[in-house]
Amino acid sequence: MRNSLIGIIVFGCLAVSPAFIGDYWTGQLSAYLVYGLLAISLSLVWGYGGILCFGQAMFFGIGGYIMAVFTKGMIYPDLTSSYLGLLAAMAGSAMFALALGFFLFAGRGISGAYLAIITLAIALVLERLMNNWYALGGYNGLLNVPPLKLVAFGLSYELWDKLPTFYIILGIVAAVFFAVTLLVNTSYGLLLTAIRTHPDRLSSLGYSVLNLRLSVFSLSAAIAGLAGALFVTLDGFASPTLIGFTLSTEALIWVAIGGKEMLLAAFLGAIFTRTAESWLSEIFGDYWILILGIAFMVSVVLLPKGLLATPFERLTRRKRVRPSSPAIAPSPPDPPSPPSGPD
Amino acid sequence: MPFLELKSLVRNFGGLKAVNGFSLNLEEGSLNALVGPNGCGKSTLFNLITGVLKPDAGRVIFKGQDITGWPPHSIARLGIGRKFQVPAIFDELTVRENLIVAGKRSNTLPLIPEILQQIRLVELADALAGELAHGQKQWLEIGILLAQAPSLILLDEPTAGMTSLETRATADLILNINQKRNITVLVIEHDMGFIEYLGCPLHVMSKGKILKSGDFATIREDAEVKALYFGQSREPADA
Repeated sequence: MRNSLIGIIVFGCLAVSPAFIGDYWTGQLSAYLVYGLLAISLSLVWGYGGILCFGQAMFFGIGGYIMAVFTKGMIYPDLTSSYLGLLAAMAGSAMFALALGFFLFAGRGISGAYLAIITLAIALVLERLMNNWYALGGYNGLLNVPPLKLVAFGLSYELWDKLPTFYIILGIVAAVFFAVTLLVNTSYGLLLTAIRTHPDRLSSLGYSVLNLRLSVFSLSAAIAGLAGALFVTLDGFASPTLIGFTLSTEALIWVAIGGKEMLLAAFLGAIFTRTAESWLSEIFGDYWILILGIAFMVSVVLLPKGLLATPFERLTRRKRVRPSSPAIAPSPPDPPSPPSGPD
Repeated sequence: MPFLELKSLVRNFGGLKAVNGFSLNLEEGSLNALVGPNGCGKSTLFNLITGVLKPDAGRVIFKGQDITGWPPHSIARLGIGRKFQVPAIFDELTVRENLIVAGKRSNTLPLIPEILQQIRLVELADALAGELAHGQKQWLEIGILLAQAPSLILLDEPTAGMTSLETRATADLILNINQKRNITVLVIEHDMGFIEYLGCPLHVMSKGKILKSGDFATIREDAEVKALYFGQSREPADA
């Protein structure tokens, strides 16, 4: 599994990076890791599941708001556990995705550009809704969201400092990354590829295409919701920008630049793009957007598998047999040929 | 009780009656061929049986159970496999992975080596399905059906685009599936040589229903069928 090996190396490098990049960048990198988690969720649903969700930020935002509402004690003042908040954020996003997915995929189902447009529109509607939902802060959002609070064995620890926060976030992101990597390497991953390439064939083999699509859509939403929940604890506030158009398209660009069909490439796509944005926008100001746009176009036109995924694939390519011989050689109908392949 | 019973199926597309009162009974373990000119409703008929389309009227009864209007995956789970007209395989998976996906539901994974041998793709088991030659894709799809372990298979033009050698081998494979595995087969074909080789009952379809049924020799001499295929119309054509 050279693919996992690269993943281990990448997360190892991330783990030692705070020693070299200083306090400020460690804090930034924590946020980028969370964006990376959002990219992983989008890569799962888009690159693996074949569902182009143009509004992935809606799940991120829903998770963020649920976390904020929970940990600020707006539901039960005594129940402000971070753990419960994270679980509720994931469950809430997943359930929203399940309900939305049912309308999108039931019957003949919506796919391709139509699906992209509808999901984008729903993200816009939700952004508008949050802007006007005054009980949840409206345009200003919810302020003073507490940081993550770790409770274990009767001890309690609030993550105010950058370094411990970074490692907790890294741990969560790495755990999700390796779990999803394992998942897509099981037969579930085969089914996702199958549903992407030929859904009609899959349903005529007895698989429910609706259930499969719903499963990957809500799993991806749960991961995006987790990312959103982590994000509000870093930033300290949940605002309508978490849920809408801008973040949705940004996530799409990270994943397209990195490579949607490879979790690690999508994850690094988010981190690199964000890091580049920080550096380049200081040097070039608003012209940075042009550079990003050019990178995006190069990726889409020249390297549709992604700027990062293409070299990764070279490293990890499986050796494949190429069919060159004619299909059937002249032979009697039932040749007593011995099995010749390794089975 | 017939194995598969199609009772006066009707399906319209706008004003076009694609299937118009089609009835047919298949016995368990039988092999039947369905022929007919392009656009006579053969593929629509398969779509009605497999649940891809719902009939406007009529019933589909499989092993005594009325399955009319069931969703495709539920019908497939009863043991009805279908080969599409254009090879429907998973291009981005390897040959072996295609068979794994097909066999996972019915626990036929141990049979995969045998199926690979039967469809002559042992050497190409780890090749991407999308890179296979056309004839090999057709064979892989038949292999997918076998991995699904069905009791009835519907084959829509299984030899389209094949060389005569491949066509012959495909006919042998179908006979083998039918006789050795006791799978009921209904095959749509245009190739008359292929059907003659199969030596099975033949049903000629025209304008959405069965025009004639019988064995190959009888059908070949039938005046109406000749008219249908060669345009020697005795009555004014109402196209």
